[in-house]
Amino acid sequence: MRPVLSIAIVCALWSASALPALAHHSGAAEFDSHKKIDLTGVVTKVEWTNPHAHFYIDVKDAGGTVVNWNLELASPNVLIRNGWHRNSIKPGDTVSVTGVQAKDSSSYGSAGVITFPDGHKLTFLSGDEPAK
Amino acid sequence: MNRPNMSKRMASGIVSGMLLAVFSLGAQQAAPPVDSKAKTGTIGLYRNQQLAPNAPAPKLADGTPDLSGVWLGSGGNSADIANPKGLKSGDQVVMLPWAEDVVKNRLSKQDPEANCLPAGIPRGSPYPWRIVQTPTHYFILFEGNIHSFRQIFMNGKHPDDPDPTWFGHSIGHWEGNTLVVDTVGFNDKFWFDYKGHPHTEKLHTIERFTRTDLGHMAMEVTIDDPGTYAKPFTTVGSAVLMPGTELLEYICQENNQDLQKLEGPARGPGGQ
Repeated sequence: MRPVLSIAIVCALWSASALPALAHHSGAAEFDSHKKIDLTGVVTKVEWTNPHAHFYIDVKDAGGTVVNWNLELASPNVLIRNGWHRNSIKPGDTVSVTGVQAKDSSSYGSAGVITFPDGHKLTFLSGDEPAK
Repeated sequence: MNRPNMSKRMASGIVSGMLLAVFSLGAQQAAPPVDSKAKTGTIGLYRNQQLAPNAPAPKLADGTPDLSGVWLGSGGNSADIANPKGLKSGDQVVMLPWAEDVVKNRLSKQDPEANCLPAGIPRGSPYPWRIVQTPTHYFILFEGNIHSFRQIFMNGKHPDDPDPTWFGHSIGHWEGNTLVVDTVGFNDKFWFDYKGHPHTEKLHTIERFTRTDLGHMAMEVTIDDPGTYAKPFTTVGSAVLMPGTELLEYICQENNQDLQKLEGPARGPGGQ
């Protein structure tokens, strides 16, 4: 389990602007810090790619309609150094995700904190493994 | 990323992240002394990183300063090159009228960096880079953005009419313990920062790299582009050694979904 101190620091960094101010582009141009998302669903796909890793989750709304959300993480080089592994999140996992939504209001967002049923958490930056 | 903020983050991370751990040193050109009880802390975006011990700046066997290693940082403020915090005291960025119009009208989605194109000089990224020294060539290998490299011809000469390129034609020499890199032959395509400060092919940069101790590099970049700015100015920045890591792969072009989502004027990562 990662140190509480570290995840606190990473959460603080991430939430300081409520935007992923960490990318190769302007986070403020892509995401709206006022459009908070809080989603629970099943992971359908993981893309361990640059310039950002992505995972996709099926989220069922109150009416039973399923929407597939595309959620962005930092890039693999950043994630690996922070203890993420390409299998840290896998298709079939049920996760809850808080973050911010794209400015165009599509089902596209930046993942802030990802919570698993056993309570362990990953963030946009911080993973489970000892950081490299 | 706003470099002054990044520096503060680095500093606070280093202070707050003092966890002891055992790390193996990477295969560096001139590896720092192995310290199995190395202190760890946050460097930039990276937590639990091995920190360089307090030690003097190393030298090669012939006495040349040794700048090799994996570094994180840059020579200026990548969010806004005109931010006084990233400029030499008293310097100002004074744009010619055409350049002011360009900055007002540029869009985030037009940023070459967002399009996975090179950042040029002195714009940095959140990703580390490595300096490799050979007797005739020095290389800067960038993890991102993008997975590219610069070559510096030591004690070389510029061509009379260099073809314009993203990183220009660089020649280097030593002034005491400072590596001075003189570069011309730039294209006019890269932006100095997220705000979109432009330049022309008349751009001439002089970079100064000084390893102040084992773990720290002071960097200054004098930018002279009479086609864009009323007078030269000098940016100041720094880099921190990451002795416990190696460069990783970062191929920005493979899945750049962000570009189609970027909206609005050119601005810093956090909206500044």
